[in-house]
Amino acid sequence: MTLEEVIEREGYSVIGRPTPKKDGWIKATGEAKFADDLYFPGMLHGKLLRSPLPHARILHIDTSRAEKLPGVRGVVTAKDFPGILYGDFAHTRDYLPLAQDRVRYIGEEVAAVAATDMDTAEEALDLICVEYEPLPAVFSPEEAMQPEAPQLYDRAPNNIASKSEFHYGDVEKGLAESDYVREDTFETQSMKQGMLEPHACVGLWEGSGKITLWSCKSSPYVVWRHLAMGLGVDPGNIRVIQTYIGGSFSGGKQEGMPMDFCAVILSKKTGRPVKFVHTMDEVLVIGHMRHSMKIRLKTGVKRDGTLVAQHCRIIANGGAHASIGQLSIFLPGLGLNLPYRVPNVQMESYRIYTNTGFAGALRSHTQPQICFARESQIEMIAKELDLDPVEMRRKNARAGGDVTPSGFKLGTFGFLDGLDRVIEASGWREKYGKLPRGRGIGMAGSGMISGARLMSHSASSAQIKIREDGTVALMTGSADIGQGADTVLSMIAAEVLGVRVDDVTYAMIDSDVTPLDPGAFSSRVTLWTGNAVKQAAEDARKQLEEVAAQKLKADPKHLVFRDRRVYVRHDPQRGMDFASLVRSTQNRLGHPVMGQGSYTSGDEPIAVQGGYGNASPAYSASVVVVEVEVDEETGHVTLAGIWNASDCGFPLNPMAVAGQSMGAFTMSMGQALYENLIRIEGQVMNPSFRDYKMPLIVDLPKVENVHLFDIITNDPNGPFGAKEAGQGPGDGVIAALANAIYNATGVRVKSLPISPSKILSGLEESRSNKP
Amino acid sequence: MNYLRELPKFEYLAPQSIPEVCEMLAAHEGEAKLMAGGTDLIIMMRRREVVPHYLIGLKSVPELNFIREEKDGGLTIGAMATSWEIQSSSLVRQRYDFLAKTAADIGSIENLHVSTIGGNLCDGFPCVDFPAPLLTLDAKVKLVSQRGERIVPLDGFYLGYQKTAVEPDELLTEIQILPHNHRYGGAYIKFHDRHAIDITTTGAGAFITLDSDGQTARDVKIALTTSAPVPLRVKGAEAALCGRKVTEEATEEAGRIASEEASPRTSWRSTAEFRTKLVQVLVRRALRQAWRKVTTSSSSGAAPDLWLMHPLDPRIGENR
Repeated sequence: MTLEEVIEREGYSVIGRPTPKKDGWIKATGEAKFADDLYFPGMLHGKLLRSPLPHARILHIDTSRAEKLPGVRGVVTAKDFPGILYGDFAHTRDYLPLAQDRVRYIGEEVAAVAATDMDTAEEALDLICVEYEPLPAVFSPEEAMQPEAPQLYDRAPNNIASKSEFHYGDVEKGLAESDYVREDTFETQSMKQGMLEPHACVGLWEGSGKITLWSCKSSPYVVWRHLAMGLGVDPGNIRVIQTYIGGSFSGGKQEGMPMDFCAVILSKKTGRPVKFVHTMDEVLVIGHMRHSMKIRLKTGVKRDGTLVAQHCRIIANGGAHASIGQLSIFLPGLGLNLPYRVPNVQMESYRIYTNTGFAGALRSHTQPQICFARESQIEMIAKELDLDPVEMRRKNARAGGDVTPSGFKLGTFGFLDGLDRVIEASGWREKYGKLPRGRGIGMAGSGMISGARLMSHSASSAQIKIREDGTVALMTGSADIGQGADTVLSMIAAEVLGVRVDDVTYAMIDSDVTPLDPGAFSSRVTLWTGNAVKQAAEDARKQLEEVAAQKLKADPKHLVFRDRRVYVRHDPQRGMDFASLVRSTQNRLGHPVMGQGSYTSGDEPIAVQGGYGNASPAYSASVVVVEVEVDEETGHVTLAGIWNASDCGFPLNPMAVAGQSMGAFTMSMGQALYENLIRIEGQVMNPSFRDYKMPLIVDLPKVENVHLFDIITNDPNGPFGAKEAGQGPGDGVIAALANAIYNATGVRVKSLPISPSKILSGLEESRSNKP
Repeated sequence: MNYLRELPKFEYLAPQSIPEVCEMLAAHEGEAKLMAGGTDLIIMMRRREVVPHYLIGLKSVPELNFIREEKDGGLTIGAMATSWEIQSSSLVRQRYDFLAKTAADIGSIENLHVSTIGGNLCDGFPCVDFPAPLLTLDAKVKLVSQRGERIVPLDGFYLGYQKTAVEPDELLTEIQILPHNHRYGGAYIKFHDRHAIDITTTGAGAFITLDSDGQTARDVKIALTTSAPVPLRVKGAEAALCGRKVTEEATEEAGRIASEEASPRTSWRSTAEFRTKLVQVLVRRALRQAWRKVTTSSSSGAAPDLWLMHPLDPRIGENR
């Protein structure tokens, strides 16, 4: 069914229509206040002292000279905190606000200063004297796993920070029964989120004990919990207020960071608000990045291309902290269950501590890595068995209704529709194998969750208050991080209540005010929070319906809320203005119109260490085709065109879906071709956007060569059928590029980024191998 | 490497004339740094790689900012001419389209308006783009101090990594390019990872003057970026082409010789091996492009470049 047909059939008045982002205007004009734009009377500026060594014992810290510098109001070290570990998973928790007796990577926070201006704060850092005893350091995960390697934490023998293992079916038997078995090792690099707004916060600790943090947090309630945990205070004393967010991608804004702790503790010490803002240098040096991985993938197939068994072993560089790594190391398992039917699957994945900046989540949390491996290998198998790679994917594709070996229940899964769309639109049949040398086409498929079902806090909630002018105040706990949550959630409320999107205000998150919610990550907001908003709006509408039914002498079931009016379906003249209905209900009858809603996806367990269970209420599917041109003398790659079909269930806001899709593939393209956080002995060599190379606009295909298709499957678990759209579309892009480069040049690159020098070496090798 | 910080404390001096600059340089020798556009200097200061006591700003010295044609037909560019001014100068575009293109591709629009040719030359980094095309043009620079002034050929100006012939009390005031009396054509081609603005991995410039026979190269100059500790002329490759027709085989040979003359290093940015391969390709392409211009141009000037019609789209007419 097309978008227009669904809108027509369902009679939607708001959703399904391209809607500009609500805060677009104030962001474009600079009116939106980011955390760094906040100024308070008497506010101090904070700065963090970082470890210059990758691994060392802290013997002594002398802050006396810094404290005496005129303009310095406070200096703090680990001693100023209670020494309580904070973090997400209780069994891997290892964060401290400031390093206590050991530093484990170059850039780790050791002390903090608050001064009347930034220059003085920085000068004070030079006056803090830290005595270190250097310890042997280890930088590669493989070395770190050796028995004689330096150990980062006593609780983690062989530096195994976390692991996830599963085995469904019988992989050994499956491989034995296969006609062809192939094993490859793929390597992916460390990649940064690259959000344009660096982390920033203002902390205030008032005499009464009330603690307030203003910050660009994508998950304010997680931060709220972390602060309470690490400060050892009652969470009720803490208030986290979200500011506008200039991109998140889980680059640290989803949790409590050292700067947040130091801002509030320095405020306690000085009695003044304290602001911290990272430089981009700091953002690129500290933790929070995509895990670099070594993925060994062994796949067995029948002669006709039927996948029989897959064994995957992953070694991931976790860096110096556990972070959210327990989830990171579980999630690649999705890639063995989606998007293909493989009856026998086994995964052993290990996240290893090393003396480097720590890794965590980044848009599509480990999926691009596993897709790169799987989709590259499928192409190689197809080549080896002389099979059509499109038909091989079609033969093995999953469909709605499937239950995967690991227990994922796919309600809808529009993989095959997507495959057909991109094959046709890209002219695949006319191009594959038929393009001139140096020109190539490649594809990849993927599947993605719509919000992980976490065993700690999964549920979303929403509240709606309707004002007497008929405008709607919508509150959730899911921050708008630029992804369009403010707009799509407002559209859902507007659709249910029959008002316009502009009539709905979307509140910034404030832990004292807005409902509890895990936050914006894991592609969860549209589905989870969207369902909560829909329910809250329906609740509010029900309260109005009762009054309207009496006034209009109609059955509530026959009432229509649309275009700021309420009327009887078969007699549209019999109706009333929405705002006057609200006034009657609230101001005359004394029934405040306030709706609430919540959404969860059941209590059925899922274990991230590798257990069986349904990871998400819904799963999206994506298929992408790219066309490239490779300069065979220099190895330079130009992305000439992209065709991407993604099953987002139903595109509530097609404009935002397209924006998310473009953003996702641009990030993946960056990882495929350019981006790489380069470290030598633990030192980041490229901590600037000059040297950490993200794609810019001229690196992208021309707009007329970008083709995005929404596959509509109307998932029963999604609000108005919607699933995720922000991550899945990027998952296959790296592999598609690798496959297209192979198609253009015959060079198969199995490590990222696919740099010109690797392509050139490959070309030379193939030339010299020719008789 | 140090992290990027706020600027260190310094005293800013704003001279109004060249003699005043020289006076300040002499007075604060060893303690002062000249600031042209500051696009590199400010970052080096923020990283504490350079911590000058005095910063002598050259913005307010009008006599350093010009692009003019000399009576003998030569071209002189003031040290403070910005990349933007050079890329948009009709004089430069008509004479040396490749020099204008080099300027246009130096950085973002904002950067073009700030960065200067003098600053670019005096940085002494082998990865900056102006030296190679200027080397192929046999450019000279004027150095002025209280002791007097001297003209130094750019070939020989670079003494080592970040080391130039500029004495601590000297100011580079202008770049001189002598007139060319024969038909000529030039090109500068650089490679970097992205299509978008990026640091040059390797670059090659070529400049060919045509003999009066209209068939053979009278003179060939080839210079490289990021292929040695200094911007490098590859004279063996040049010699191999002089007096010859610049055929495909000849460019091939010159590329090979140039790659032998080059001595790039391996760093985290790229490997010596890859850079050497690039030298071969880029020299060949630059020669091919320069030869095409010299053999298709109507008069002494260069043929109009397709790029000139699309100054903001680096993908048009790219590098082939």
